[in-house]
Amino acid sequence: MLQAINLTKQYAPDAPPALKGLNLTVAPGEIFCLLGQNGAGKTTTINLFLGFLQPTSGQALINGLSVTDHAQETKRYLAYLPETVLLYPNLSGLENLDFFASLAGFALLTDELRSLLLRAGLQADAHMRSLGGYSKGMRQKVGIAIALAKQAKVLLLDEPTSGLDPKASNEFSELLTQLSADGTAILMATHDIFRSKEVGTHIGIMRAGHLVETLPAADLTANELEAIYLQTV
Amino acid sequence: MIRLALKNFIRSGGVRVGLALLLVAGVISLLIGRQFLDRQTQAITDVRANQRTDFARNITIHKDELGLLLYYLKFSLVNQALPLSGLSLGQRDVNPSIQSVTIRALESQRYDADLANPANLLLGNLDFSFVLIYLFPLLLIACCYNLVSDERESGTWKLVVVQQPNVMRVIYRLYAIRVGVILGVLAMLVAVAIPLLRLPIDATLASFVGISVLYVLFWAAVCFWVTSLRKRSSVNALLLVTGWLGLIVLLPTLLNTYLVTRYPTPEALETTLEARKGYHEKWDTDKQQTMQAFFAHYPQFRSIPPPKLAFDWPWYYAMQQLGDDDAGKAANALRTKVAQREAVSQQLARFIPPLHTQLQLNELAGSGLGNQLRFQEATGRFHENLRLHFYDRMFRDVPVKSEKWNRFNVQTFHDDAPIDALTGLLPLLLLTLVFVGLGWLNFRKTATMA
Repeated sequence: MLQAINLTKQYAPDAPPALKGLNLTVAPGEIFCLLGQNGAGKTTTINLFLGFLQPTSGQALINGLSVTDHAQETKRYLAYLPETVLLYPNLSGLENLDFFASLAGFALLTDELRSLLLRAGLQADAHMRSLGGYSKGMRQKVGIAIALAKQAKVLLLDEPTSGLDPKASNEFSELLTQLSADGTAILMATHDIFRSKEVGTHIGIMRAGHLVETLPAADLTANELEAIYLQTV
Repeated sequence: MIRLALKNFIRSGGVRVGLALLLVAGVISLLIGRQFLDRQTQAITDVRANQRTDFARNITIHKDELGLLLYYLKFSLVNQALPLSGLSLGQRDVNPSIQSVTIRALESQRYDADLANPANLLLGNLDFSFVLIYLFPLLLIACCYNLVSDERESGTWKLVVVQQPNVMRVIYRLYAIRVGVILGVLAMLVAVAIPLLRLPIDATLASFVGISVLYVLFWAAVCFWVTSLRKRSSVNALLLVTGWLGLIVLLPTLLNTYLVTRYPTPEALETTLEARKGYHEKWDTDKQQTMQAFFAHYPQFRSIPPPKLAFDWPWYYAMQQLGDDDAGKAANALRTKVAQREAVSQQLARFIPPLHTQLQLNELAGSGLGNQLRFQEATGRFHENLRLHFYDRMFRDVPVKSEKWNRFNVQTFHDDAPIDALTGLLPLLLLTLVFVGLGWLNFRKTATMA
């Protein structure tokens, strides 16, 4: 569903590549967690799949289509949750969800919108409040609801649990597991080793633009993963 | 999507304040227009009454001498103000809308008019065309300068791009909302103006509104192009405000300076001096010589006998006539140059949309320089007809009482110069399309970049 073939990105000719020869595949139902320090190339990878950046070489494929050559079509398969979800402060959480769902071509009823927000963990009394008064975690939950509304086959997550409290973070992990069970391919960039062990099917560790380790999550304990991570980075 | 994007736009406090201020400024401008039209109506009513009273009084006092009576009698020609001039006052406040002339030398009477309020002239009028030309673009800039760039800076654009693959559609809709809201204010003002100024709903009003709408669209296109350059919001704002300043203040000032330099009018003073000199010199000129010069101008009056007394009216009016004749060359040169200035400014203004819009609105409202020039020509014809009529009567010693004075009511000049709507609309339309095209090309490349 999601494939990187020798994917390379160099921002400037005299700068070292931010991503060098990345090869990875995320099949439907898999959750691929990318671990790595800041500047390791995780967000660059996500941005290349989103089409926000043009690769210097190599290919990013979604459902077999090159993101570069089929920019519009590949976005139809995608949902995205950034580290910090910044929405429209003049609209309520429900209106923001309605707006972004309608952008994706979904005309949802108020009950459906509320249901999505509840599924994302946003309390009912906050649905109609202006987003200007939301905490970062609450905005993040609206972002999750937006991603859910699109019913995308591929979910790209960039530090999605940043700002979520432990309970919400745990609910989010359960949500990802459900989506994965429904066949969604998920690529998640994160610093959270334990969360990635908990939800991931595969774990990739990146360093200086290289994917240096790819491990099946099921074969590791959280402590083993932490040890490998610390040795690798 | 449009409903929610509109909500998001309208709920912004700054937008609401801006729209309210624009609306208030617009309504004030309409009230100023109403005031202007009322003043004009009152002035016309007054001049009609005054002419009747003045005639009655002078005819009683100078009942024995037509020449003396005509020395005092003033005949008025009104340059009828169209209701549309309440929207675009143009030069109506600096040039007379009523010319009251005796049959004496015309050139010295042409500019014999009072200005209503010099303080207003200093500040300029807050008429509707001012609100349209100066304030509408400012609000449009304030609403559009950060379109897309602000969302890029805040991070929402990434989500927009991912949710809606056809981002151009989103951009068009965001623009349509902003432009639609601002055109809505324009529509509201026009809707208020129609009953308030008693505007007839006709092709002229349609052209006026069409040009106003295209002017707003032109600025929307400029904003569209600037925001397509993918600069930061602050840079967009700087570019747009600089553009506003350049197009609205700098370029028109440069054009004016060019016109004044290219077509200097020393004849303005020269005409006055020549007219006065031409007339005053004749007091010391041989009467017969004066009369011969007069007969050269009007051979039909050759039969009148030569002056026998130290003063006689045919000779006096011949002196007056020759004052005009002497100043004629300079006066014609002045009018030609002013007409040239007008023609060149109309042509060059096609590349300066605010100036073009102002000139076109003035032209449609009958408040432009073109109208004033045509009114001056009409005044010349009006004066000439009076002269020809009264010269004949005076030279034949027709008694005052045999003239049907009640025939001489205030006359009205109707400016029936054809309106070329296409000339008004086309430059704005073309420039709008150019900027939309340039913006479209840029956005096509950059819209999906986060």
